[in-house]
Amino acid sequence: MSLSALILTLVAVPGSLFILLSLLWLLGVKLPERAMSRLTKGAYAFLTLVTFVIAWRMWQSGQHSIRISIGDHWFKVAHYEFPLTLLLDRLSLPIVGITVILAGIVGSFSVRYLHRDPGFFRFFLLLHLFTFGALLVFMADSLDVLLGGWEIVGITSVLLIGFFQYRPDPVKNALRVFATYRVADLFMLMGVFLAHHWFKTASWNGMFNGEWPGHINNLNGTAATVVAVMLVFAASGKSSQGPFCGWLPRAMEGPTPSSAIFYGAISVHAGAYLLLRIEPLLHSSAIATGLVIFIGLTTAALGTLVHRTCADAKTSLAYASQTQLGLIFAEIGMGWTTLAILHVVGHALVRTLQFLRAPSMLHDYHRVHAAAGGHLEPTGEHYESLLPKQTQIVLYRIALGRGFYDAVVDRFIIAPVVAFARFLGVFEFRGGKP
Amino acid sequence: MTEYPLSRGWQGRLNWPLLVIIVTSHSETPSAIPSDRREHLRHVLDHAAHYLPAQGPIGVFIHHNTLHAFQHDPFEKAVLDAAQLFKTEPYMSEEAYQKDRARGRILDQDIDDTLRREDDAEILPGKLTRRQLRRALLIPGVRRVNGINISWQLEESDWLTAFRKEIDATAARALAGDTPRALWEACAARVRPETAAAAAKPIRPRDAVLAEHGIDMDLIIHPPLIRLTGAFVDQGIAYWPMPLREEGLLRATRKIMPQPLAIFPARLSGVAAAFRQQEAKNMDAESVVLDALEILAVFPGDWEEYLIAELVALPGWAGLVRQLEVDPTLAPHDRVRCSLMEFLALRLTYTIVALQDITGDTTTWRSFCVPPPHIDPLTPIARLFDAAQLTGISSDVLKALPEAGFTRLSDELHACNELERRRLLHIAYERRHERQILIPLSKFRAMPPQEPKNDRLAAQAIFCIDEREESIRRALEEVDPAIETYGAAGFFGCAIDYAGIDDAHGVSLCPVVVKPAHAVREQPVADHSHIDEKRQSLRRAWASVMRGSYVSSRSLVRGWVSTACLGFLSLFPLVLRVLRPLEFARLMEKLNSLFLPEPRTELLFTQDGEASKDATTGLLAGFGTQEKVDRVASVLGPAGLHKGHARIVVVLGHGSTSLNNPHESAHDCGACGGRRGGPNARLFAAMANRPPVREGLRAKGIIIPDDTWFVGGYHDTCNDNIDLYDLEAVPETHRSDLARVRQSLDKARALSAHERARRFEAALPNRNAATGLRHVQERAEQLGEPRPEYGHCTNSVAIVGRRDTTRGLFFDRRAFLVSYDAPKDPENKALAAVLGAVIPVCGGISLEYYFSFVDNEGYGCGTKLPHNVTGLVGVMNGFQGDLRTGLPLQMVEIHEPVRILFVVETTPQRVLSVIHANPLLTEFLENRWIRLATIDPEDSHIEIYRGKGQWEPLSGDEEPLPVASSSIAYYSGKIEHLPVARIDPRPAKAA
Repeated sequence: MSLSALILTLVAVPGSLFILLSLLWLLGVKLPERAMSRLTKGAYAFLTLVTFVIAWRMWQSGQHSIRISIGDHWFKVAHYEFPLTLLLDRLSLPIVGITVILAGIVGSFSVRYLHRDPGFFRFFLLLHLFTFGALLVFMADSLDVLLGGWEIVGITSVLLIGFFQYRPDPVKNALRVFATYRVADLFMLMGVFLAHHWFKTASWNGMFNGEWPGHINNLNGTAATVVAVMLVFAASGKSSQGPFCGWLPRAMEGPTPSSAIFYGAISVHAGAYLLLRIEPLLHSSAIATGLVIFIGLTTAALGTLVHRTCADAKTSLAYASQTQLGLIFAEIGMGWTTLAILHVVGHALVRTLQFLRAPSMLHDYHRVHAAAGGHLEPTGEHYESLLPKQTQIVLYRIALGRGFYDAVVDRFIIAPVVAFARFLGVFEFRGGKP
Repeated sequence: MTEYPLSRGWQGRLNWPLLVIIVTSHSETPSAIPSDRREHLRHVLDHAAHYLPAQGPIGVFIHHNTLHAFQHDPFEKAVLDAAQLFKTEPYMSEEAYQKDRARGRILDQDIDDTLRREDDAEILPGKLTRRQLRRALLIPGVRRVNGINISWQLEESDWLTAFRKEIDATAARALAGDTPRALWEACAARVRPETAAAAAKPIRPRDAVLAEHGIDMDLIIHPPLIRLTGAFVDQGIAYWPMPLREEGLLRATRKIMPQPLAIFPARLSGVAAAFRQQEAKNMDAESVVLDALEILAVFPGDWEEYLIAELVALPGWAGLVRQLEVDPTLAPHDRVRCSLMEFLALRLTYTIVALQDITGDTTTWRSFCVPPPHIDPLTPIARLFDAAQLTGISSDVLKALPEAGFTRLSDELHACNELERRRLLHIAYERRHERQILIPLSKFRAMPPQEPKNDRLAAQAIFCIDEREESIRRALEEVDPAIETYGAAGFFGCAIDYAGIDDAHGVSLCPVVVKPAHAVREQPVADHSHIDEKRQSLRRAWASVMRGSYVSSRSLVRGWVSTACLGFLSLFPLVLRVLRPLEFARLMEKLNSLFLPEPRTELLFTQDGEASKDATTGLLAGFGTQEKVDRVASVLGPAGLHKGHARIVVVLGHGSTSLNNPHESAHDCGACGGRRGGPNARLFAAMANRPPVREGLRAKGIIIPDDTWFVGGYHDTCNDNIDLYDLEAVPETHRSDLARVRQSLDKARALSAHERARRFEAALPNRNAATGLRHVQERAEQLGEPRPEYGHCTNSVAIVGRRDTTRGLFFDRRAFLVSYDAPKDPENKALAAVLGAVIPVCGGISLEYYFSFVDNEGYGCGTKLPHNVTGLVGVMNGFQGDLRTGLPLQMVEIHEPVRILFVVETTPQRVLSVIHANPLLTEFLENRWIRLATIDPEDSHIEIYRGKGQWEPLSGDEEPLPVASSSIAYYSGKIEHLPVARIDPRPAKAA
């Protein structure tokens, strides 16, 4: 098979699996668990194999990037064009590899984990859709295609947070995450729109010259800064950074494997990927660079502070993830690209294992405790004890309040918006009478 | 209402100024409050606390009656009361019982028998009795009536065009000339509109505010409460433990929360001021609560109801605080000083602040009314319409009914409401279970014994009474008919505080009600102490690496190193653990055995005298000779093992190891306090092998032959491994005997694993026993496995008697088997000891499974999938929910909710005299939390206890006793519950 056919297969397999399974579902066909399990395991084994073959062939032929055009001129109005192109290069390949491997691992885990659960089918349906969306994000050759994958990842994430739909809490928290995503996606849309408007292009090809890494930025001026800032905020939304840093713990309502693949492994790193991709654009603007570093470092500082006081396994992991993501953002801001990729891959692997093992925390802790002879070095005496007592308590208070993020959002953003919406309700006609 | 000397009248209180929240004039110092109010409050809180779940930190899971607070009431009343208080289900749903009836699990005769035991009355003289009405409502069952869709049913479905198809012939004849429409109209004409119930008084502000403003206050105050309590009781998950913990929850919170910079969630801004004022006045928890009760205008007479309602709104956390308050040693690592009063004070402070914010004051909530549930006018008509069809009351008859008759009819109909029908169906459901067990048992006893007994058995094996051991006991006897098995409570009479060489501290290995007085320690044998030192230093090094990587992967700077630089190393354990769990586990074991040396050890259990009493713990080191004798006798005596023991006697404790399972401990040995019972078995065997002990036993009439050797061991019920201890000490002469036993045990555990695997849908049916073993071993090591084993699920019977009563019977791992030899116990002493231990333990297990099954969300902890380990003390759903107590769905999903049926091999008089001498057992039995039957040791006839001293002989023989040549032949290919069968390897004769 040609390389481009292989690359298309990579995206097409999870996508067509999703379509096939949802058709079956709509037709009322009950696929047995065992069949679903074989299908999933087989599909991911195949995808992993395909990824390795692609990597091998690219390495053999010395190709550093491959573009595959599915439809270049299928849509054209005046100077607006949305070419459907995929790109696999030295940035996307490792991330794609990690995605198919981890999705496969989580899929195998879930076959056992969700056995007999009424949502078994739904879970796998969403898992395949997620893989499709994530691969689209990582292999997009333009902001437009990326946006498509971005939204798919977002909606599957929300649907899996609300997986236990018969209880109110998961649904409420899913809605909250959904709203956060929407606000962040608004920045994404604006970025795409402005790129088209000002630069007549949103494809990597048009925005940058040359191959990653070391590609050259084509966009300049204030307009480029505005686009870059928009995309930084969009990336922050997906990676739970900066102004969108409060949603990650809420996402822990879903089943453990979905927490692992979304919030430990792939979905949260999509923001970092976007920044890596538009790195020359970022660095063309001091404001955008400064913003990324600022967002990354402040989120990391808050994340590590909050993490220190989290008394439950999953929230603790959520804030630990957020901390490292902040560092990844800062690394990208500093221009340490290779390090950032290593960090993304390493972090995804560590967190997936930790999320999957989260229910073992009791068992592991007791074992280590016993092996250490019944005495573990007390933690929390590192930096904390250097501070005056009162400062310690203030810091603890901030951490316990999770940086007051939710309180601020509830009181100063949601409440005014709701009040305003109520006010607008005055103008609505009610009960047929004006 | 009790009168209290108040500084101000209550009336004056009701219009209390709204400015300040928690200040009252008389609470400057704690002592200013009259002490009898404090006393009353404490008393009320103690009482209210009974309604909280009695589950401690989840690392040690003890099964107990979920409704322990209601145990002083009869079961049937208690489940209804509890359902009302906790908003839970008392029984399975009516549909579930009707489905069971449809598949023959409930027979018509069961329903008839159930109704026969209830009072009868005439409803319509000559036409309808209560019994007839109820029977018709249960067989074929009422049509599900739902107020919303009745009019749809009338217009769109066949309600008005045809009578129900299921009605019986008599009813059909009576309705012959009638039409459904006429009947519906007659019903509609007769039914008087129900008067709406009066609006209820709200019990707590939340109900009032919800009704009046549509705001759920629990959603406002629970998140901060959960976060604070979680941080306070945390045992080591948080990197930075809560500061000021030593000052208690209330004071720590008051000092931490009101910081100048802090931004509070919506509606809780007043909390800072409230906390500051409390702190300024140095109020203790009781003063805060008393003040709050006054501010909320809750009268002392309502305190109890109010406090119960506030506490059961967040039962998991409140219950945990209570458990840790009562017994701080339950905390696995950090002992924190918990107090339910402080938790309550915190809760009420938050409640008042939120209430003040929403309603503007703190007392008007009392005047709000909770609207009564909406009554649909069509529902009573539809019910009557349905009942009239079922009982064959035609429209003419209905119209002609005199007023008194109609009132009686509708009252009876109302009395046999859904809850009552479920109660009746449940009793019928249990009756069938009772007959499925007792009839085959009596048929089996009526048969001649299978084989004449040999002079001496090849070996004897003592297991725990646990119903999970039933299959391995049966398999062992199938494999080697010259082995006989026995059942004794799995701590084998040894209540000990035990620490192995790898344990940091001693733990109690005995039933929870017992506090061990003796310490037993494992230590390396003299010439192996250097190996142990090496082992421990390696383990310490391993622990510091593990600890380091755990902590560092989460923090900022070290986290950077461990994720960016070392992160990819996680790939190997991740991939292998998920894709090849068993191979990975074996690899780890291999590495362990290569690098971690294992010293030979022995138990330190012999007492040097009173001097060895530990000053701090008050534990005696080991046992004196007489104490050893007593402990060995307490197991061998009741089991009837008085003489002629086999050359090898194996004693097996049990426990369960599984990965990624916060409920792991729930699978361990209940008799060892939710821990693993290997050391008890090892200790028992070591004691029984001592010549002085045998000497002492002889004085008690237990004569152990000199050539008998006891071997202790441990059976893991999850991966079905069996380890035997101290094999080096086995005399040379017994090696071949031991080898034979070992071989039989290995065959038996494989068979037993295979039998277990039949229950798992994920296991493919396969007749090869080795596949079963592999399947269960893999299950134990699988990271994503929420059901490593089914635990006590399906338990339903406890049989107390000689093995002859049950040997060769297939009980499908559903029967606790307790060895008790009635003829050797003329004074019932052994019976009292046995029942005193097994009724509370087995009863508790059975009831916990019952309640977690009938209402898995209300009494159990729901599905495991979203569980989140918190504070190392429990699990909650999501990131801030209540602690979930009880059993998860995955542990109970195949359970049959029946109260456990005890079948005791003795006479009714003897068993009652023993039970009635013990108040706890009397409560269990007379309030019908358990069921009881006896099987006569002489003539084998069975009597069933019906309460209040009434016995009833078993009659009828509708349940067969199938015969199969082996267990595997009987269960092969089946996944459902199987009836009792006889396993007879001899060529099947015509039965």
